[in-house]
Amino acid sequence: MVLSGRTEAFEPLVTPYRQPLLTLAYRLTRNREEALEVAQEALLRAFRSLARYDISRSFRNWLFQIAANEARDRFRKGTREKAALKNAARDRSPSAGPEAGRERREIRSDILGCLAVLSPREREVFVLRDLEEFDIKETARALGCSSISVRVNLSSARRKLREAIRNDFPHLKEGR
Amino acid sequence: MTCRKAKKLIPLYAGDDLRPRLMTAVRAHVDACPSCRKELGEYEQALTRLKEAAKAESVPDWSEGEWRALAARFKPAAPEKQKPAFLARPRWAAASVLGAFLGLAVLSLVFKDGNLGPRGTSPADEPSVVSLTLVSQETGLQVVWFLDKNFEWKGDEK
Repeated sequence: MVLSGRTEAFEPLVTPYRQPLLTLAYRLTRNREEALEVAQEALLRAFRSLARYDISRSFRNWLFQIAANEARDRFRKGTREKAALKNAARDRSPSAGPEAGRERREIRSDILGCLAVLSPREREVFVLRDLEEFDIKETARALGCSSISVRVNLSSARRKLREAIRNDFPHLKEGR
Repeated sequence: MTCRKAKKLIPLYAGDDLRPRLMTAVRAHVDACPSCRKELGEYEQALTRLKEAAKAESVPDWSEGEWRALAARFKPAAPEKQKPAFLARPRWAAASVLGAFLGLAVLSLVFKDGNLGPRGTSPADEPSVVSLTLVSQETGLQVVWFLDKNFEWKGDEK
């Protein structure tokens, strides 16, 4: 319907993906405000580029590809990392907020802490392949690189994460 | 397969991300090598824990206001109004105007004596004598009358 020009059908089409898209953006940017901007821009880009959507592809993967590209563009602008690191550090500090929800914040900061050891490319590959469960081919397509590059970065990311869990987050290793 | 090579491939093997031929080779090695099997176990555990933690993680959500504000922007862009040609190419338009101005200036210089009308219409050029020729169709006889500007007869010629 949307492809045939009924633009009012776009919102119902993307509503099921609004939360997953924001989650992906958050894992890539590690900052709520920036994730919101990435997700918004991704949805607007998707809306403007609907004519170029290949219906043989998964719509979700197409949306996620746009969001990953947007996050990467922002990363290149160099504004993200500082704010994200500051946020991660704040979340990890003992005085971060009331007692309620503390466990969730700890989990979040653990994930953020783990992802912080990865390079931007390794993080993109890990998030798409292992957390969003894209396959290798879709990950490569989403990131505009080869399957070999995805495998190299994925291997490196998993190696670094195993080390990080073993050294810095042993409670994750023990499953607590 | 050596342990060294297997250890390089284990991170991908743990996520089932190797090509089938390599999967088989690594599986065969891991089955026979306790050290590599232990390492594989660590990778699998790390991946499982991270995925579980990611699922349990508190992630941000849209506020209803944020979503509504965004949804309001899902509208096709208004088609751009067609600009007149002279607005689309302002340099060409300016050049055309300048050319027309120069052309008019040249024409005004050429005809600055005001001599634009047919010759002989100025009072100075008015003839003082007007001739009237009459021709007979039957005999071919021609009679020319000469009149002054007041149409007074001045004579004739045959």
